[in-house]
Amino acid sequence: MSVAYRPVLWNRTKLIYDAILIAAVAAYLVIFLTVAPRLSPEAAAISFPIYRMRAFGTCAFLLLTMVLAIGPLARLDTRFLPLLYNRRHFGVVTFLVAASHAGAVLAWYYAFSPTPQLDALFLSNTSFSRVAGFPFELFGVFALLVLAVMAVTSHDFWLSFLTPPVWKTLHMGVYAAWAAVVLHVTLGPLASGGNPALLALVAGGVAVVVTLHVLAGRREAARDGVPSPQPDGWIDIGDLRDIPEGRAITGAAPGGERIAVFRFKGHLSALSGVCSHQMGPVGEGKVVLGSVTCPWHGYQYRLEDGCSPPPFKERLRKYHVRLQGTQVQVDPVALPLGTRVPPLAIPVPEGRA
Amino acid sequence: MIRRQRRAHALIWTALAVALPLALVAILANAPGGALPERAPERLDAETGG
Repeated sequence: MSVAYRPVLWNRTKLIYDAILIAAVAAYLVIFLTVAPRLSPEAAAISFPIYRMRAFGTCAFLLLTMVLAIGPLARLDTRFLPLLYNRRHFGVVTFLVAASHAGAVLAWYYAFSPTPQLDALFLSNTSFSRVAGFPFELFGVFALLVLAVMAVTSHDFWLSFLTPPVWKTLHMGVYAAWAAVVLHVTLGPLASGGNPALLALVAGGVAVVVTLHVLAGRREAARDGVPSPQPDGWIDIGDLRDIPEGRAITGAAPGGERIAVFRFKGHLSALSGVCSHQMGPVGEGKVVLGSVTCPWHGYQYRLEDGCSPPPFKERLRKYHVRLQGTQVQVDPVALPLGTRVPPLAIPVPEGRA
Repeated sequence: MIRRQRRAHALIWTALAVALPLALVAILANAPGGALPERAPERLDAETGG
């Protein structure tokens, strides 16, 4: 969390994350450009400018595929959450590598003509009715533009300025960018007789990313199932015995959002299950130092009023919670932001007081 | 994500799960380098190396 915007808010975790990411990208490019040609006569036979654009292009495809896999992986298995923490830097690096690929292409294929490079890129090929020779570059241009918009707006300033729902919708544009990249590679190098390794990379990437997203989507849909409300409108969230100390169980309001009920030091507190930062699953977080902590980026909220501890200003909506035996029930009508609701004391069974 | 975006996500990825593999197969099948010869004798020739 931050109260003031800085270009990049560094911490030790982010530095390690970025160092590993940049080292991995550098290692891929060095191996592709210097080691592979020594091991493969076929690779050595390719002219360096073309080989260089392939190095950046395959690297960008791999990075984008990994960026898209991180989200569903983290939803399906919490061990992948650390990858999500700094995913925006991953996206910016992906854009830079993709832009390097585009620069290498422009500096070679379109550099030896009196026609301006961008004019040649958009106007030299209009074979839209053929698979072979289709102007596949346009899909790449589209994807690069989307990645550029996302890289530019990745900062928390834009997240706050656009509001989280709009920002999140805008950044779902990465799905279209990735699909465009798949078509770019398929209609380009693969359709003109690309090598089996590239085909395996693209087909494998498509299979992995699509499967992960479909699986994660099905799991999310199952979590959105709403039980029949009580006669007074309150809804069952789950059983008290299923809530570990410092954790929550979540339910969904009819037609509304997820609600998380946290158990902490013998009390229950109900808050919105959607983080106000990037709309992460705050209900899957835990209580740290008395505050609910979102598993995505560590944003924190007080249990009693849903407000972030000062000087931070993020807030979650609170809900009334009650116990019917061991059944945890919530009034699905959200309270105004900042409303203070004392945590509900869990009755101590007789003989244990 | 909020509920509306979760629904959009599910819709988008279900569509991509169907459309992208089909597009890949259609493109590669129609590409000069990836298409099988349409005439049977050519396929047989290719298999026998003749």
